[in-house]
Amino acid sequence: MIAPDIRVEGLVKRYRNGGRPALNGMDLQVMPGEFFGLLGPNGAGKTTMISILTGVLAPSEGRVLVRGLDVVKEPGRVHRLIGFVPQEIALYDTLTARENLRYFGRLHGLSTAMLGERAEALLVRTGLQDRADEQVRHWSGGMRRRLNIVVALLHAPPILFLDEPTVGIDIQSRAAIWDLLHEVNAGGTTVLYTSHHLEEAERLCTRVVVMDDGRSVGELSTTRGGGHERLEDAFLRLTGRQLRD
Amino acid sequence: MFTRILAHVHKELLLLLRDRTGLLLVYVMPIFLVSVMAVVQDAPFRDFSDKQVRVLFKDLDGGPVGEAVQRGLEATGSFTITSGQALDEVEFRERVRRGEHQIGVVVPANATEAVAARSEGTMALLFDPLTGDRTAIPAADSAAVLMVVDPAVKHVFRELVRSSLVRVLAGISSERLLADMRVRLEAINGDTLPPIALGGPFVGIDQQLAARELTGSKVASDTTAHNVPAWTIFAMFFTVVLLAGNMVKERTAGCMVRLLTMPGTVAERLIGRITAYLMVCLTQLAILLSVGHWVLPLFGLPPLRFGPPEDLLLLVLAALFIGLAATSFGVLVGSFSRTQQQSAILGSTAVVIMSAIGGIWVPLYIMPGPMQVIGRISPLNWSMEAFNVVMLRQGDLAELVMYLIPLALFAAACLLVSIVAERVVSSR
Repeated sequence: MIAPDIRVEGLVKRYRNGGRPALNGMDLQVMPGEFFGLLGPNGAGKTTMISILTGVLAPSEGRVLVRGLDVVKEPGRVHRLIGFVPQEIALYDTLTARENLRYFGRLHGLSTAMLGERAEALLVRTGLQDRADEQVRHWSGGMRRRLNIVVALLHAPPILFLDEPTVGIDIQSRAAIWDLLHEVNAGGTTVLYTSHHLEEAERLCTRVVVMDDGRSVGELSTTRGGGHERLEDAFLRLTGRQLRD
Repeated sequence: MFTRILAHVHKELLLLLRDRTGLLLVYVMPIFLVSVMAVVQDAPFRDFSDKQVRVLFKDLDGGPVGEAVQRGLEATGSFTITSGQALDEVEFRERVRRGEHQIGVVVPANATEAVAARSEGTMALLFDPLTGDRTAIPAADSAAVLMVVDPAVKHVFRELVRSSLVRVLAGISSERLLADMRVRLEAINGDTLPPIALGGPFVGIDQQLAARELTGSKVASDTTAHNVPAWTIFAMFFTVVLLAGNMVKERTAGCMVRLLTMPGTVAERLIGRITAYLMVCLTQLAILLSVGHWVLPLFGLPPLRFGPPEDLLLLVLAALFIGLAATSFGVLVGSFSRTQQQSAILGSTAVVIMSAIGGIWVPLYIMPGPMQVIGRISPLNWSMEAFNVVMLRQGDLAELVMYLIPLALFAAACLLVSIVAERVVSSR
């Protein structure tokens, strides 16, 4: 039997100043090679969930296993297995793209030769190599988003987490990111991705879990994953039409 | 681990190099600060030997005493004397009140007469104890030299003039007594005696520095010797603003979230950051000491003097501990600030207060008693004392360690609180 790459059991997260729990008994499993989507309206708990899965936040209850390793107890070993693309552009804007890649690559313990090789390949793949020696503050939002993903792929992690990776960018950059993520997933990388863009999830994911109010309210197969119902219809059926301001 | 720390150091230095405002704050601002403060504070540090007190002098006596008072004041070398002979009393006072002259000195019309009368009366009592008339000796206040003081003048200047006058008048009185005694003795013996002169006090004063004297140095502490180390310490601690600001920026830009999902520990990040800023502190030290040695003399200030090479080693050791305390404090400020504005205000205010009470602006020994006690708990005071041990007192390592230990403890406390704070934040 194949073990899941990500296993979440009874996850609860209560913030100190919060009333209701941000996560309230989440369970899920992501199998190796899956492109798994975590969807939900604003405030559903997606970012809290991915923050706990990557070890940024500690859970109040429950546990998360990544390839059998407990994220809370063995964060160092888990961090070697994962790449994370945060919702923010997590780059040093006065450093050049190459300097950013060199810094983050060294933290992953990549040798100079390996780092140079991987960085150049990814820069070329994402069309960023020509301006890689410019400070990234001079770049467009789309270029920065692509570099944001490149940093997470630098050490070729077997598991990739993405938190809303295409927010606020143009159609061309978004299409380039979709292609890149397809390619990465096709190469065997397990991907867990959060978004509220249903069209994007439909194209990218093989399976999605819809979250609302800190809980899983349903699991769906996308058309890519062989599902028959339109994702938007299923989403509204599960979460309702009530506005979430 | 070592590779990751090096990566953090390299990144911090790159960020600093790209931050022009930060570079101005860390390197250019301290150069101006050291130069301006050294020039401004030059006067209070001087030993009043450069004719700084402007004295308006009027001699109503016109006799030997009036002349002797003027000669005596000039001989001290501490005053610039201007004649007010042509001025009436109102104009004389007005010029002092306006601050044109800091002190006015008026020798009364009967000064020579009063000195002579008191001397002769004393001689009469000494040589004719039975017939001498004690009531013939005029009272001490029958003639008084008038001192008119500018209300804005410091007490120390006033006392300098007063003590000089007391010394000059005591000399005049003694000389006159000796002269009258010689006349009496000649009358008794029928011989002509050689003139007798006091020629100064019978017991001299030998002034020495408690530490070995540096080449060419005449005073223990001058404006350069105080201001260069003082503002170097201030500059080192002011890196807090930059360091804490970069920490907050890293957090708000999302880089911290990424770092938390990568291999490495909080301690590695802190060590990397502190190492980078320690390098900044050491370069600040080198630059500001060079300014003290080569640039300040161009403004007419005394140059910063260095002791033997072993003192330089102690100086670098002291600077490392001071830098460690400063950067650790920066990390603490960065850990507790939520915005860059917060870190800038908190960091700069804290450093200015700690420097004011710690003896950076003015030496601690001239502050009021309670402030001296409070000042001793400022890390900037321990830093100042550490530099003084090396640069002025020529102390050894054992003496220096007394100030390095509290600096190290302060740094450790800041780091410990910062690490705990970061862990608490990430567990929320």
